[in-house]
Amino acid sequence: MKKVLLAMFIIVATTLVACSSSSSNQTEEFPTTDIEIVAPASPGGGWDGTARAMQKLFSDENIIEENMNVVNKPGGGGEVGWQYLMDQDAHHFSINSSLLITNNLLGQSDLTYEDFTPLGILTTEWISVAVAPDSEFDSGIDIMDKLKEDPTSLKIAVAPSLGNNDHLAFVQAAKEHGVDVTQLEFMIYDSGGDVVTALLGDHVDVATMSVSEAKEQHEADKLKIVATGSEEPIEGLEEVETWKEQGIDMVFPHWRGVMGPPDMTEEEIAYWDDRISELVETEAWQDILENNEWQAFYKDSEEAEAFLEEQTANYEELLRDAGLTD
Amino acid sequence: MGVDLQYFIEGLTTAFHPMNILWVLIGGFLGTVVGMLPGLGPATAVAVLIPITFGMDPTSALILMAAIYYGAMYGGSRSSILLNTPGDGSAIAATFDGYPMTRNGQAGQALTISAIASLIGGIFAIIGFILLAKPLASFALRFGPAEYFMLFLFTLSAIVSLSKGNMVKGFIAMSIGLMLSTVGIDLQTGVHRFTFGIPQLSEGIDFLVVIIGVYAVGEVLYNYLNLDRLQNKNKLGKIGITREQWKRSKWPIIRNGPIGFLIGVLPGAGGSIASMLSYTTERQLSKHPEEFGKGAVEGVAAPESSNNAASVGSFIPLLTMGIPGSGTTAVILGAVIMLGMRPGPLLFEESPEMVWTLVNSMFLGNILLVAINVLLIGLLVKILSTPPRILYPLILVLAFIGTYTLSYSIIDFYVLVIFGIFGLFMKLLKFPIAPLILAVIVGSDMEQNFRKSLVAHDNLSSILFASPVTIVLLILTVLSVSYPFILSAIQKKRANKSA
Repeated sequence: MKKVLLAMFIIVATTLVACSSSSSNQTEEFPTTDIEIVAPASPGGGWDGTARAMQKLFSDENIIEENMNVVNKPGGGGEVGWQYLMDQDAHHFSINSSLLITNNLLGQSDLTYEDFTPLGILTTEWISVAVAPDSEFDSGIDIMDKLKEDPTSLKIAVAPSLGNNDHLAFVQAAKEHGVDVTQLEFMIYDSGGDVVTALLGDHVDVATMSVSEAKEQHEADKLKIVATGSEEPIEGLEEVETWKEQGIDMVFPHWRGVMGPPDMTEEEIAYWDDRISELVETEAWQDILENNEWQAFYKDSEEAEAFLEEQTANYEELLRDAGLTD
Repeated sequence: MGVDLQYFIEGLTTAFHPMNILWVLIGGFLGTVVGMLPGLGPATAVAVLIPITFGMDPTSALILMAAIYYGAMYGGSRSSILLNTPGDGSAIAATFDGYPMTRNGQAGQALTISAIASLIGGIFAIIGFILLAKPLASFALRFGPAEYFMLFLFTLSAIVSLSKGNMVKGFIAMSIGLMLSTVGIDLQTGVHRFTFGIPQLSEGIDFLVVIIGVYAVGEVLYNYLNLDRLQNKNKLGKIGITREQWKRSKWPIIRNGPIGFLIGVLPGAGGSIASMLSYTTERQLSKHPEEFGKGAVEGVAAPESSNNAASVGSFIPLLTMGIPGSGTTAVILGAVIMLGMRPGPLLFEESPEMVWTLVNSMFLGNILLVAINVLLIGLLVKILSTPPRILYPLILVLAFIGTYTLSYSIIDFYVLVIFGIFGLFMKLLKFPIAPLILAVIVGSDMEQNFRKSLVAHDNLSSILFASPVTIVLLILTVLSVSYPFILSAIQKKRANKSA
């Protein structure tokens, strides 16, 4: 009972302090209303998962007092959700990924990262190349050698669309090795699960997909991961060499970040830098990363902006090389 | 995989833990209610409940979500039978004979037989799961692009052949459906097709919006035209089924449990295809096919047994390979990953007690659901005595809510209304609706698989003869289209002879 009283006292006291400080500043301190997280996808995927994890941890860990809601705005590879964010105020933010960049480069969207306020980059997944367990290939470089000889000799599975990270990571590795990447034969599946099925059933020769989708199958000897696009060998997959170790100089993060609507004030940006950097330090966040096979990849608002600029240049080049843009 | 008795019993005791029984009950009841509402299918129900499962033990969360799933299979057919407005793709087949039974004053019996059929289909599938999970999973892997293409082709041809005597109209409806399914980004090339610059259309037209539009909105409009002539002649009738009805449904139920189960195991097929194929199979096997579509009890029993079995079957690829076999299991997969569990090839080895708990809870859940559903019949049929002037606006409201929950987009409202009007004209001009809907459901997958198999096989004939599976499906396809003609030719000959 005493504890409850104490807690109530603290709440009342802090509210009073908060009120008085805001009145002294003449302006109310951000945030003033409930906060909305826009997941530009349907429930169940990585964007939605990131949004819901943030919603839960911000309140569980008492980082943010205000109510937070997740709204799903699926469609157009993020386009619908981001268009929606354009017209909102600073109490809204959305999850993003490289699709924000590639949609625009591929001519499927007018939006670029410059239309929004980058608030940070949160996580990355690494992308792997896998083959069937009885495949003739034991390493990624063998595959690339074969493709260098004849780029149409292998059928490569990817999901869910051309121009996405899984696709481009493979293209970049191939390009670095001197493969004629415009000739590569990709088969496009609906989801990562379908790609695994296609590989397990021997319907394709090679698959490019995120490590999280392939790792467990690899451990069960249902398929064989032969290369990863990460900086360092991946925990639990130490026996698999990265592209770098195999002599192809490339690292390819599949990142997810957050951004707010256009024209946020410096205070608002600082508020989110504060809160998000606190969030990524919590143990609960580490658990979520581990459960989803995501890697920590935190960049604050300033670093995120520079990162997005660099990524845009990189994607522009890749898409051109892959023959998807002129 | 053999049945490990120790884990089986362990799972049984966990499943009968009072808390878990409660989750089964809650999930089953929620699923039933949600399944009844047009557009609110099991995938939406599970997705909405994801935050609730965050604090739960993964096993209980899985039990809850599975119960919602098969609960929705029970519930989905309620509105099909009573109002001719299916809540989900897998409930469409229940309208074919379920709604005519209601018109004939046998609503109560139709609901009872559908609950019983669901139970038996479900139990069959659970036994199949226990005995065959692993071998079936590896069989399902053999289904490549060519096999899926032929399976979808066969399903479409079977459904068109249903519109006997009016196959041309059936083909027209199917073609329109196939055209609609091309809207959106083409996966193989990334080209936008018929999206008119509207980003919401880039993912295609959701088949659920088409279902709700053509069935629910179309039905309301149709009844609105006939409002003055409409009377409440729909009576509940008896709840108990007659011995004759049981005799006629017994074999269809038993036959179609396994069919539904096998189709459910294939990732990428699912309840809609299972129930449609079961319906057409039964009609072709029946001694009195002329009664189908006019309230034949086996026309309700067969698809109901099948779609519930399919929902159990779709857990096999999820639990043995970590691959979701349906939209709902995909959402479930996402949710259990958040809880720190990774259903995959190692799940059976690493946490067998969890798998067996789930299986046993499905057993229990199916039995509880029949009780729930039979008890609800008395309440549900009150819908039929609701005056149309109150009932139909309510259905419209539900249709709009259901549509909104699909992708939270206003654009879908326009699509819904357009398809409502379209559905009205189809009814007025007596076009069969099922070929249209099925074509919208499978059209995009069928096309993508065809294109992928062209990459793999170079030309059409090598797709058709790619494997024993495709050859069998090819023969079935040819038969299903030509069967009505052969039959009538034989009858003519006989008639000529006797004359």
